[in-house]
Amino acid sequence: MLRLLATIRKEWLLLIRDRGGLALLFLMPLVLITVMALIEDAPFRDYQELKFDVLTVDNDHGRLARYIKEGLEHSGQFNLVDTLAGQAVTEAAAKKLVNEGDYKICIVIPRGATAAIVSNANRIVNDLSKRMGLPAVAPVKSRNDSLDVTIYFDPAAKKAFKSSIHQALDNFLTQVETDLLLERIKQQLRSREAEAADTFAIQLKAVGLREQATGPTKQIDIIYNSVQHNVPAWSIFAMFFIVIPIAGNMIREREDGSLLRIKLIPGSYLAMLTGKMLFFMSICVVQFYLMILVGIYLLPLLHLPRLSLGHTYLPAFVVALCIGLAATAYGILVGTVFKTPNQALSFGAISIVILSAIGGIWVPLEVMPPTMQFIGHLTPLNWGLEAINDIYLRNGGLQQVWANAAKLMALCGVMLFIAARVEKKRMG
Amino acid sequence: MFSISVQDLHKTYPGALEPSVSGLSFSFPRGIIAGLLGPNGAGKTTTISILCGLVRADSGKVQVFDLAQDVAHREAIKRLIGIVPQQIALFPQLTAVENLVYFGNLYGLKGKPLRDKIDEFLLRFGLEKNGHKEVYKFSGGMKRRTNIIAALLHDPQLLILDEPTAGVDVQSRNLILQFLKDYNQQQGVSILYTSHLLEEAQSLCHEVAVIDVGRLVLQGQPSQLIQQHPECRNLEDVFLHYTGLAVRD
Repeated sequence: MLRLLATIRKEWLLLIRDRGGLALLFLMPLVLITVMALIEDAPFRDYQELKFDVLTVDNDHGRLARYIKEGLEHSGQFNLVDTLAGQAVTEAAAKKLVNEGDYKICIVIPRGATAAIVSNANRIVNDLSKRMGLPAVAPVKSRNDSLDVTIYFDPAAKKAFKSSIHQALDNFLTQVETDLLLERIKQQLRSREAEAADTFAIQLKAVGLREQATGPTKQIDIIYNSVQHNVPAWSIFAMFFIVIPIAGNMIREREDGSLLRIKLIPGSYLAMLTGKMLFFMSICVVQFYLMILVGIYLLPLLHLPRLSLGHTYLPAFVVALCIGLAATAYGILVGTVFKTPNQALSFGAISIVILSAIGGIWVPLEVMPPTMQFIGHLTPLNWGLEAINDIYLRNGGLQQVWANAAKLMALCGVMLFIAARVEKKRMG
Repeated sequence: MFSISVQDLHKTYPGALEPSVSGLSFSFPRGIIAGLLGPNGAGKTTTISILCGLVRADSGKVQVFDLAQDVAHREAIKRLIGIVPQQIALFPQLTAVENLVYFGNLYGLKGKPLRDKIDEFLLRFGLEKNGHKEVYKFSGGMKRRTNIIAALLHDPQLLILDEPTAGVDVQSRNLILQFLKDYNQQQGVSILYTSHLLEEAQSLCHEVAVIDVGRLVLQGQPSQLIQQHPECRNLEDVFLHYTGLAVRD
């Protein structure tokens, strides 16, 4: 125990006197998390949170145009722009502005669109009336015109954005057509029997849509935003960056002969290695919680969302310990395998950057191609991130995180075993 | 009764074309200052590494205070040995006291007895005013002296020093050599010393063994060796007589 405590004390003294190392361990992740959360805030926001200017060219001036405009405005996502410099927007001008990227979207409602919908509704009502033995009196157009509401997108608009606009407009069109049809049916029935029509009501939606939480609690309002992704992700990245001080520390000890001196002291080297591991693992856990505090207290001051921690705290602590152990073991492996600080530090830093990119630290794994997603699921940084997301986003407990925690522990064991074999071979 | 006994020692490192040690045999009685001398590549470091249990010999027999250097006695031998590596095996960012407390703790020493011992050695090595200064701020001689203290804390029976005076000024060298003589006389501690400074070895060592290309070429008391070679004025001449003038890699 004395050897273990002495090693922890020695590592502590070495760390507090290494200002560069302290900055690397604590300041760098703080800056990184803040910068990344700010940079990725907009891309992470749902389209519902963003407002777009929509050019509208209303050639219809009827009910359809009014419905579409009201619907778009009501959604809160769009600012409708139908005049420019006091002049109504023309289709040609709108196309040009969208193509140049000044506006992301333009909607052109064609002349006679409302008339076409009304005519179509009347035609259906007349057909139904005939089949029911009632007179077909609603006026219909002789020609069955096919009209389209035209949408122009900024050529740089993303597919998901286009898709959501398409869907929204399609809903408005369906809504208008349904409303008109129901209105016409009511009018037809009211004309036959006024008393009955007064109480006549059609409930169109028999089955509705309701969002429910999947986790053990009823909380459903955690949104996967920039803070919710970047704080845990870059905290894990920073924890793995402990490979730099550990590997540097080990190689220096080997080069200056202090490792030789330590190995010549009777007793197991394991106690000293355990002391080193415990110390650096504790640093990792402190790093983790420091970054969590950044997400809770600092980032909201920068107008970013507050980090949500889920409902249980023990699982996150267990996961932080496992990540810390895996990161420390990786540092020991790198420090054992490489012979010079330059080799170890370059490899250590670059390997963490690559693993983080693959593991979904930079961008969530879900937006990557399937092959990269598969590879990403094999990286320890992703195991850590998945486990934290299980707790913070899915309100999971130990049961949800044990698999990823076990993978991290197993990897830790494998890396220490390899390091021991390499060291044994070197000593031989 | 020997402090060190080496018999027919062989060691070839994996991938090496030549053996580092080939049939090496020598022994030193207890309680003396012994010098293990030889040009670069003679096999001194390999021999010391095998003595300490850091490297396993291919064949041969090594004994430290009658204990065979094998798995069964490795830990016991470590307790008997204090080693002063050629490198400054200290943590530069820690103070001398912090370094010494750490290494003392690793030997199981703690509390006041350890602090008293550290204070005593700092005083004997003229470092009492600098104990709380970080080692990287020390001069070369101060580092060497602290490096030696770290090997003495657990009261070893055999002190192994690998070029302990390399790169130090005359005053520090004088202090180190005088300490080793006193320590040997007062504590009866056996000392094995390697150096390329043969004048120093001649004045310090009771007995020397000269090895070259992994074999023993000469052993005896410096004064006797010089007497046996009338053409040689000092130990360096004797050394060159046996090892030649060719520069070694």
